[in-house]
Amino acid sequence: MDDKQQLKRRDFMSIATWAIGILIGAGMGLPAIAYIIGPALREDEAFGWIRLGSISKVELGIPTLFKAKIERQTGWIVNEEEITVYVLTENGRDFIAMSNICTHLGCRVRWIKDQDQFFCPCHNGVFNKAGGVVAGPVPRPLDRFEVKVEDDQLFILGG
Amino acid sequence: MDEQKKREYYEKYQKDKEKGIFFFPDLLFKDAVVSLLLFVALILLAYFVGAPLEEQANPADTTYTPRPEWYFIFLFQLLKYFPGSMEVIGVIAIPTIAILVLAALPLLDRGPKRHFLNRKLWVGITALLMVGVTGLTIVAFLEAPPPFDAFRGDETAALYAENCAGCHGPAISTSSGTNLHTLIAEGEHEGMPAWSADLTSDQIDALAGFILSPLGSRLFADNCGTCHQADQLVASNPLELKQALEEGDGYSGHEGIAVPVWSDTMAPEERTSLVNFLIAPDGQRLFSVNCAPCHGQSVGFAGTESDLRSLISLGGLHLAMPPWQESMSDGEIDLLAKYVVAPATVPEALPEYQQLCSSCHGDRVPKSDDFDQAREIIAGGGSHQTMPIWGNILTPQQLEALVAYTLSAANGTPAAIGQALYSQYCSACHGDFGEGGANPALSGDIIAPISTAEYLKTRDNLTLRSVISQGQPNFGMSPFGSTSGGPLDEDEIDAIVTFIRTWEDNPPVELPPEIQTTAMPLSGPEIYTSLCAQCHGEAGEGGIGPSLLDASLQQTSDREIFESISIGHPITSMIAWGEILTSDQITQIVRHIRNITSSEQSPPAGEVSFSTDVLMIMEAKCNMCHGLLGGWDGTTYRSVMDSGDNAPVVIPGDPEGSLLGLKILGAQTKGTVMPPGGKMDADDIQIILDWITAGALDN
Amino acid sequence: MVTQISEWLDERLGWRSVWETIFLRKVPKVNWSYTLGSATLFAAVNQAVTGILLTIYYVPSPDQAYASVQYITTQVPAGWLIRGLHHYGASAMILLTVLHMVRVIFYGSYKYPREMTWFTGVGLLLIVFGFGFSGYLLPWDQKAFWATTVGTRIAEVTPLVGDAILRIMRGGKELTAITLARFFGVHVWFLPATLIILIGIHLYLVIRIGISSVPTREE
Repeated sequence: MDDKQQLKRRDFMSIATWAIGILIGAGMGLPAIAYIIGPALREDEAFGWIRLGSISKVELGIPTLFKAKIERQTGWIVNEEEITVYVLTENGRDFIAMSNICTHLGCRVRWIKDQDQFFCPCHNGVFNKAGGVVAGPVPRPLDRFEVKVEDDQLFILGG
Repeated sequence: MDEQKKREYYEKYQKDKEKGIFFFPDLLFKDAVVSLLLFVALILLAYFVGAPLEEQANPADTTYTPRPEWYFIFLFQLLKYFPGSMEVIGVIAIPTIAILVLAALPLLDRGPKRHFLNRKLWVGITALLMVGVTGLTIVAFLEAPPPFDAFRGDETAALYAENCAGCHGPAISTSSGTNLHTLIAEGEHEGMPAWSADLTSDQIDALAGFILSPLGSRLFADNCGTCHQADQLVASNPLELKQALEEGDGYSGHEGIAVPVWSDTMAPEERTSLVNFLIAPDGQRLFSVNCAPCHGQSVGFAGTESDLRSLISLGGLHLAMPPWQESMSDGEIDLLAKYVVAPATVPEALPEYQQLCSSCHGDRVPKSDDFDQAREIIAGGGSHQTMPIWGNILTPQQLEALVAYTLSAANGTPAAIGQALYSQYCSACHGDFGEGGANPALSGDIIAPISTAEYLKTRDNLTLRSVISQGQPNFGMSPFGSTSGGPLDEDEIDAIVTFIRTWEDNPPVELPPEIQTTAMPLSGPEIYTSLCAQCHGEAGEGGIGPSLLDASLQQTSDREIFESISIGHPITSMIAWGEILTSDQITQIVRHIRNITSSEQSPPAGEVSFSTDVLMIMEAKCNMCHGLLGGWDGTTYRSVMDSGDNAPVVIPGDPEGSLLGLKILGAQTKGTVMPPGGKMDADDIQIILDWITAGALDN
Repeated sequence: MVTQISEWLDERLGWRSVWETIFLRKVPKVNWSYTLGSATLFAAVNQAVTGILLTIYYVPSPDQAYASVQYITTQVPAGWLIRGLHHYGASAMILLTVLHMVRVIFYGSYKYPREMTWFTGVGLLLIVFGFGFSGYLLPWDQKAFWATTVGTRIAEVTPLVGDAILRIMRGGKELTAITLARFFGVHVWFLPATLIILIGIHLYLVIRIGISSVPTREE
């Protein structure tokens, strides 16, 4: 074995070692990435139509608070969650359902009857009766749910 | 290694290095290749085999056979060779020594030689160890593959492997006299479940047989297994079994089948093993299978162990019964025979039976279905061979177990023991039937009945045990458990609980009786008698509690005695009476203690009072019958002296001439001993005799 | 560009001399059995990486441990692989550690001047067994529960202190949530910390002293 061959052999081994290292790293790293981000990529569970209650409970012209229980499967745990929704109707036929979660940072807004406004206690965000932005740092109106009425029962589309 | 050798080593190593290679890439390349291969192997395993995940852990599942991961299994296997108290060698000693030797290897093998041929000892030891560990691992896998495959054929062994081997290893050694069936059925220590929930009684019998005679199980599987299942034959009738083994196809069950005479084909030891397997030498089980049909749940036996052994092994020739026809009328014999056949139909025969038969036959009627036969036996008497000659039928182990059990059972069932203990320790406050009454310790308080169905249903055994053991100091109940300084050990407390439980089926008390609460007696002597005397004795002589006559008490100030009573002594039965008694009452007790301990010993004789001493005994022992049922009447002085069929029963000054004296001593000339339940306490007898001696005064 | 960056870094980190001492050192010519040590190291790294990944989802509580392991195995992408690598890696780790040890004994490599390397190696062996024992309970399946019940019971046999050991291991008399939590803690904190320290010393000694050469017949 002359020097040249020796050199070649060592170059090969050197490259092969690096290659194996990269191979193993990838073999472990790629699944690891998939493993870590996997649940994040999962599509949010759709709940379909969630029954809120009878439409007769909705007061005309005043956002009315409804609560509904949903079962949410998170990972290996099934939680029963309560979602809270303000339902508003001006005429008793058309309903809008608004989430009570402030679009700013996710605090819970509350209806202040005297002022006819939603108020978020965290950073003084203010929404009007229909959820539109009035004041404060809020970026957009309150989120709305799709609503349907069947047999005088009020449903929202959960998601 | 000396400095010279060290230098030599370094020089040699330096040379090796110069001739050698670079770590990168030459050696690292090899490492990388091996790592890659390893990684690929792991991925393939994960993909094709997958990491196993069994059912979720279920601590209540008792049928699971735990097996450690393969790398610990050699240790697990090692344990099997160290049963019982030897376990510590396998578990602690060997592994610890192995680790220590391993760690100290450079200190033990200090020579300069490195080539393995120059270090044969240590390389040899290592090789041996590796072979040992590998061997143990292999054996473990071979020995206990999934149990159903391993013991095809020997189903009892499979049952054992599945349920017992996980914790107990391949065999269990038990001390003779263990009631295996009960122990398996009810479970015992931590982790040992009550198998009766999962296994049938027959399976438990089979397991007991297997544990006591594994060879028998093997023999059964080999010889009988083609036709019989073990759990159908275990605990069968030994007489039948003997026939089946000795008569070949002459045995009715084996007719027309080519069955050998097992007793000839098997060696005697083998036969014994087989019989021990089918009928486990488990005394309680043997008794309930073989003896209970005639003798009931237990027999009364007062003789010695060897008497009993020969009695059982020689069989029924033991009974030399008098020919009753000589002393009884035909009608009486008929009645007795009827009673023997069906006791319930002739209750009027009971006194006769008790008087004549009970002393030998106990409460249990020697059961017989045949009236004529029973009549013949009673009339003719003599030795009637009713009991098989067990010595010819049972194996020595079985006989031994049976004798041991029968002897212990003859001492009484737990409930009977419990009853005796109850009347000794509990009935003073709780009443003979748990009906309760005024609380002697707490003025105005009533002890509620403890024998009502409601009380017993709402308390489990654990609660009852702890109440007895730890007492209820707030209500004046001292702790009775030996762990709390009381007189009863755990078995005794269990027996009392068992007895109390017997009320559950048939509560003697339905509703809390209306009890007039007695005001707390104020006088020191009275309190002392009702409370302190229970432990310290009437005259302070001691008993459960320490004696108060100790000289050291004389040096103790009143104040200290007061506090001792008031505060009590933790961890003894002496509770803090200060929480129950007023300080005025305690002061009086102190004074009373001073009185009885300073006045010279022995209560003065001859000063027995009728109204306080004698009448009290009469009330307690006699008047439940006398006075109500006619005859002699023990309720007043006059009636004691004058009434009765044989009046007068008391001759003042002459206890030996008085019928009362003779009767309570058991030396009566007329009638039977009184009270009928047995003699009274010697103290009580002495009081009555003293009273008669002193002239039987109405004082 | 690459040269410039490496120059810049070397000036500040001195990585080149580190590289040279560790990787460009001369070693005696050895055979394939000398790769067992690095294979063990690789298995350890594999255990560490996959173990860290497993803790992302695993919950050490009797209520959730089993469900979370099931979730990892069936729901999370590549979860079966991560758990499989960790599971079989554990076996590989033990096997390789023992084989590595046997190789060291066979060639007398524990002799002067490598005694300390050996001592740390024995320590590592014990830790690896500790990993095996403590990791076994974590999935909280039947096998985990009962094998640990028996395994801890075995410790009870120790004279005098047996009962205390049992109680300390289980965190009480019975095998409970406390046991699971403490086994988890031992498995992911105590043992790894010790393992890293011992591996550090072990490797430092291997590099400092150099790997032993294959002994000749005269040696």
